[in-house]
Amino acid sequence: MVMADSKVEFAGLRVRYGRREALKGVTFDARHHEILGIIGPAQSGKTTLLSTINRTIDNVPGAVVAGTVRLDGQDVRLTRDVFGLRRKIGMVAPLPVGLPLSIFDNVAFAPRMAGIRDRHELERRVESCLRQAALWDEVKNRLTSLGTKLSGGQQQRLTIARALSHDPEVLCLDEFSIAIDPVTTMRIEDVLRELRSKMTIILVTNLVQQARRLADRTAFLFNGELVEIDATEVIFSHSPASRRTYEYVNGIFG
Amino acid sequence: MFQATPLTRRKGYAELVAKTIFFAMTSMMVLPLVLIVAYLFYQAWPILSLDFLLTVPKHGMRAGGIWSPLLGTLYLVAISLVVATPIGVLAAVFLNEYARETWVTRVINLAVVNLAGVPSIVHALFGLGAFVLFAHLGKSILAASLTLAIMTLPVIIASTKEALSSVPMAFREACWNVGATRWQTVWHVVLPNSISGILTGVILQVSRAAGETAPIMFTGAVFYKAIPEDTLFAYGLFDQCMALSMHLFTISTQVPDLPKALPYGAAVVLLGVVLIVNAMAIVLRVHLRSRKKW
Repeated sequence: MVMADSKVEFAGLRVRYGRREALKGVTFDARHHEILGIIGPAQSGKTTLLSTINRTIDNVPGAVVAGTVRLDGQDVRLTRDVFGLRRKIGMVAPLPVGLPLSIFDNVAFAPRMAGIRDRHELERRVESCLRQAALWDEVKNRLTSLGTKLSGGQQQRLTIARALSHDPEVLCLDEFSIAIDPVTTMRIEDVLRELRSKMTIILVTNLVQQARRLADRTAFLFNGELVEIDATEVIFSHSPASRRTYEYVNGIFG
Repeated sequence: MFQATPLTRRKGYAELVAKTIFFAMTSMMVLPLVLIVAYLFYQAWPILSLDFLLTVPKHGMRAGGIWSPLLGTLYLVAISLVVATPIGVLAAVFLNEYARETWVTRVINLAVVNLAGVPSIVHALFGLGAFVLFAHLGKSILAASLTLAIMTLPVIIASTKEALSSVPMAFREACWNVGATRWQTVWHVVLPNSISGILTGVILQVSRAAGETAPIMFTGAVFYKAIPEDTLFAYGLFDQCMALSMHLFTISTQVPDLPKALPYGAAVVLLGVVLIVNAMAIVLRVHLRSRKKW
C-alpha cells in the first residue's frame, strides 16, 4: 500500500525485545505536512514505533526488528548513512534533556556535528530554532548559560529547538508534555500547528485531548497492534470503526 | 496539637540512640588512621627534615635520608601510570560506549573484574616472566613499571567505566537523535562530563602503585643502589632502583643496629606521598564537580 503522499510508512512492522513482542505487525503511514497523533495506553508500542524511524532502536540491546519502515519510499533499514537518516528526523523525548552545554551550544550541537563551522550561520540557525520553539524571548540574553539550568518547561522547548536544529523533515514528539505545565504545553501546541506547513509531525501522546486538538489523523495503538487509524474527527466521534477506540478515547478503559 | 505524645517522645529517644550508634561506628573508622599517623609522626619526629628527604642513605643505610628510594618510587609510579592510563581509559571507553553485550565483552568484563582481584605477588611473577625474562628487559625500572601498570590497569578500567556510566543515558540518546556519531557523542558530551571521575580513579591508583612491594621486588627494585643527590635524572629506564615500600621493608628487617627513627621516617614519607596524592584527587574532584553541569 504505497501511497504517493506518504512521508513515513510502516509496513508489517514487528519489534521484539527478547520474548516480549512490542509491535505485532503494524501497517500505516504518516503523510506529508500532517500532524499524525498516536494514542494508546502504556505498553502499546508507541515509543518503540518512533525509535524504528530513526533507528535508535539499533542501540537497544536485544531488540529485533522485522517488517519495513520507509522514509520517502526508502527502507530506513537499508540505508548506509544512519547518521544522515537521523538528521532528517527530529526526536523529542518524554523528559526534557538539556545537554550539559550552554543554551547556544545545545542548539548548535547538531549543525556543528554535521560540519557547519561558520559562526554567523550557526547564530542564524540557533535564533531561528529557538524562535520556532517559542523560547527565544526568554533566553536571548543568556545564551551562554547552561541549558541544564533552565526550568523543566524551558528545557523541553530547548529540546524541541534542538530537534529542529538540523532542519528535520519529520518531527517526532514522544509525550512531550508530561513534564511541563499546561500554559507551556499550549504554547508548544501553537508552535506545532505552525510547523505543520514545513514538516510532517508524529505526535505520540497519552493525552487523548491533545491528539484531538492537534492531529489531522489519529492512530490508536493497543498492545502492539494498530486498532485503527482515521481522521481525528472520526476517531473522536460516536462511531469510530472499533468499539475499543470509542472506549479508550472516552476513558472507559485503558 | 503539636504537643509531644509519649509515643513520639519514645520515637525521638530511639532516633537519638540510633544516631549515636551510627556516629560511633563511623568514628571508629577514622580512629585507626588518626592513631597510625600520630604514632608514626611521634616516632619519626627527630629525623624528619628536608635534608632527610633529599639525601641518599649512608653507612649501610643506617644514616642519611631516603632520596634514592623516594626518587625510585616516583619513577616507578609515573611510568606505570603513563602506560596504564591511556590503555585503561580507552579500553573502558570501548567497553562502556561501543561494545555490545556479547559473550566476548562478557568475557572481557569478567577478566577485568577478576584481574583486579589478583594478589599483587601473582602480578609480580607474571612481570618477572613476561617483562624481565621473556621481553629481555632484565630487572629494570621499565620492567617494574610495566608490572605495576598491569596491576593497576584493571582497576583503572573499572573506575573509568564507573565514571562513564554515571553520565545519564538520556544525554547519549539526545546526541544520537540529532545524528551525532558515537565518537562525537563520547568526545563532546560523555568524556567532558565524566573526566572528574576518571581522573580520580587514575590518581587513586598512584597510591596503590606507590605502596606495593611485591610486584617490584622481583622486577626492578633493589636493596641498595648508589645515586647522585643533585639530579632528578639519577635513574635510567633500564637501571634498577630503590623504592620506598621496599626500602621500608629491607631496613626494618635486614639491617641490624638501625636508628629507631629511620624506618618510621621512611613510613611517614611513604604515607605522605600517598596522602598528598589522595588530597590532590579530592581537590581535583571537588573542583571538577563544582563545574558539573546537571
